[in-house]
Amino acid sequence: MQSATAHAHETHGHDSHGDHAHHHDVSFIRKYVFSTDHKVIAKQFMLASLFFLFVGGLFALLIRWQLAFPGEAIPLIGNILPDTWVSDGAVTANFYTQLLTLHGTVMIFYVIIPLAVGMFGNFCIPLMIGTDDMALPRLNMYSFWLVPPAGLIMLTGFFFDSGAAAAGWTGYPPLGPSSGAGQTTWLISLFLIGFSSIMGATNYMATILNKRAKGLQMFQMPLTVWALFITAILITLGTPVLAAAISMQLADQYLHTSFFMPDNLLVGAPDNSLLTGAFVQKGNELLEHKQLLGGGGQPILWQHLFWFYSHPAVYIMILPGMGIVSDVLATFARKPLYGYKAMIFAIMAIAFLGFIVWGHHMFQSGMNPLLGTTFMLSTIVIAVPSAIKIFNWLGTIWRGNIRFTAANLNALAFIATFIIGGLSGVFMASAPVDIYIHDTYFIVAHIHYVLFGGALFAIFSGIYYWFPKMYGKMLNESLGRKHFYWSFIFFNLTFYPMHLLGVGGHMRRIYNPYIYEFLQQYQPMNQFITIAAIILGFSQFILIFNILWSLKYGKKAPRNPWQANSLEWAAPAHPGHGNFDTDIRVYRGPYEFSHPDRETDFYPQWEEPQGDEKTVHETKEHSHSA
Amino acid sequence: MSFDFSKAMEWAYKDMLTFFPENVSTFGGELDSLFAMIYYASVAIFFITYAILIAFIIMYRHQEGRKAYYYHGNNLMEFTWTLLPTFLFAGIGLWSDDAWTKSKYAYRVPNPDVTIDVLGYQSGFGWQFRYPGPDGVFGNKVRNQISSANPFGIDSNDVHGKDDLVIISPGGARPVEVHLPINKNVLVNLSSNDVLHSFFLPNFRVKQDAVPGQWIKVWFNGTKAGRYEIACAELCGSGHYNMRGLLIMDSQQDYDAWLDQQYKLVKPELSAPVSDSTAVAAVASDSTTTKN
Repeated sequence: MQSATAHAHETHGHDSHGDHAHHHDVSFIRKYVFSTDHKVIAKQFMLASLFFLFVGGLFALLIRWQLAFPGEAIPLIGNILPDTWVSDGAVTANFYTQLLTLHGTVMIFYVIIPLAVGMFGNFCIPLMIGTDDMALPRLNMYSFWLVPPAGLIMLTGFFFDSGAAAAGWTGYPPLGPSSGAGQTTWLISLFLIGFSSIMGATNYMATILNKRAKGLQMFQMPLTVWALFITAILITLGTPVLAAAISMQLADQYLHTSFFMPDNLLVGAPDNSLLTGAFVQKGNELLEHKQLLGGGGQPILWQHLFWFYSHPAVYIMILPGMGIVSDVLATFARKPLYGYKAMIFAIMAIAFLGFIVWGHHMFQSGMNPLLGTTFMLSTIVIAVPSAIKIFNWLGTIWRGNIRFTAANLNALAFIATFIIGGLSGVFMASAPVDIYIHDTYFIVAHIHYVLFGGALFAIFSGIYYWFPKMYGKMLNESLGRKHFYWSFIFFNLTFYPMHLLGVGGHMRRIYNPYIYEFLQQYQPMNQFITIAAIILGFSQFILIFNILWSLKYGKKAPRNPWQANSLEWAAPAHPGHGNFDTDIRVYRGPYEFSHPDRETDFYPQWEEPQGDEKTVHETKEHSHSA
Repeated sequence: MSFDFSKAMEWAYKDMLTFFPENVSTFGGELDSLFAMIYYASVAIFFITYAILIAFIIMYRHQEGRKAYYYHGNNLMEFTWTLLPTFLFAGIGLWSDDAWTKSKYAYRVPNPDVTIDVLGYQSGFGWQFRYPGPDGVFGNKVRNQISSANPFGIDSNDVHGKDDLVIISPGGARPVEVHLPINKNVLVNLSSNDVLHSFFLPNFRVKQDAVPGQWIKVWFNGTKAGRYEIACAELCGSGHYNMRGLLIMDSQQDYDAWLDQQYKLVKPELSAPVSDSTAVAAVASDSTTTKN
């Protein structure tokens, strides 16, 4: 790998890169499919994840239809779906459980993580630290090419007789291991995507530590790079634990171990006979399966292992977004980022605390309530660095000169929704309050405010911001704003009322809420939410249309369309393999906007200081070079 | 397909706190007021931060020829907005702890007036209940005697187990129905024989996962007679939504009458009063955790 990097330096580092075709005869497959160019890999992550975004969104709308109009045929597609999924055109209880499981899994593991980490990690890191490519380009390629097979393996579950995984995105045992082949595909799929994450993350760390441009110190890197760096550390520490837990659940399913399975379980007859134990007749027809072997396992162990990864995973999903938003806000407010170092330390604090708060998912799980007190306090502490970030973003736009581009609107929406998502988190952080709202729609509202309102708006912001550098074309701003307004309004109309359903006691993951008398009054609200969700879902086609339209008819992007400071804007408008056509040298931090001594309101990191040396030294984070 | 517009818009004109179902347990009020406290603090923070955000967006919108303020931040401000939320949030945490220990810590579970066993089950989806019977003593539970005919694994050799009253779902769409007395400390020993369930009594603000292999104590004290719903809050399979049960809170007198009637229905052969085992009733506790 070392020699490959050296080779890349040799061929790309020094000469001009206006035209690459003449000295690169790379086959189509090597250039667009199995490419080692970080930018191509980033685009691949983007396309794959946007595909999965629509898959996961479709699942969500099917779930919403059932909650609003239980038992009524799904419009348009209800009657063409197979009988294993629907009866009389309406989703069956079994299919509903599969849908909610895969909606969560797809959105988290195949949309948010690959977009936030896979796409922006790959695209931004080498460009923003001024280098030609990742430290380990081939590993980078492998990390993408695990994603499509992993995703397809999971979706194949829908075509099994027993259906796809149906134990929730958390896959809690004993339900998980005692269900069928769908769960197996779910486990294998997560195992593979975990590998992909780890490969990407080690690569990000190696790249950031070793390949920064001349003069670029760690504390001169843009927040996006910092956030991705810390995210990479979270991934390398957390994901192996998930891999271990997955292996244990697979072993419980197939190797007759019982990490998570107590003895003498009476579980429903599974469709695969590999499970141990005896089948006993029950009633007239129902087969029952009594697990006789093994025993002594503890179901709660899985929850500890799963959340030890999956709580940091929440930060894996949100931290890159926080980095992106910081950069976008500073650029469009034309102001230095408020409290640059405080922002970095807040990210570090969130990452560290993120590893000691997992138990707040388990307040009602049956673990020792003493741990409830411990995790309640650590969870409440993690609200502090989140609050610090909010205040610093507000400080950033204070006395700025804010341009309302589509990218910046999405970044501002991130702040707006993250305030609500953060505040609703305080409710469930309090263990006694969580008793009542745990596993209700209050939790669903919270996670969507953080992951859709937070992570996804930040991702949209990043797409609008870096698209010109990705494809050399500007996205259409007017379509971008339309996409933003529709998304933002209908996002809030969809998810805000869910808080109230939760306070009303509406449980999550229930196929038909209206068998409960106390929930019957909420059907009209559920219908409202469903209508809003459908509009929200269809609004996303504006983004897809915008991308396709702009690729063909979009304005040609200049090198630095936003007059930004960070290094990616030093690269050609549509950089080829190798990225930069000039020798990059860094003289200052990335947020030197509206410097009083300059005529323009930006001062790029790579621009050589002019005039007397004094000007340079007045800037807060000046270069160490001479 | 009907659509009631004013009900659909409830979220827009009703205060969040009005959505709570009626509270009928002794500690429920405390949990609700904790929620309310966090809610009022959140609403205040929400309006302050949104006012700032919107004001800045309007005041500092792009204007030709104006230059933004070149300013990197201020450590005093950073300290301020680190410490203020720390005190606020730590206060919420410490304030919460008493309610938490009261509802969950073993040493704060009051002496029970009534003890029952509850199992969630997956084959058919519902709840099974066990009352100790006239002798007031539960039969010992033995894990290897668990079967669908004997879900609690009552030891066939234990004389106290012979009169235990087990109430199961009546079948069909009818939910299982159990009675408990008001103004009494009720202790529920909760478990499952298959997958995780979560015993949720919305009106009592009670929620606790049922974990196979483990008996977990849940307690509450109901304050108002009436008919309340039991729900499952942990995904347990495709029939998860269908685990509805009914809990009827009675006066002691009505409760005794109901128990008597159930006993005659379920165990007619034993319904003659058990002679001297009533004396043992005072010691009504069994070893709740058997294995694991």
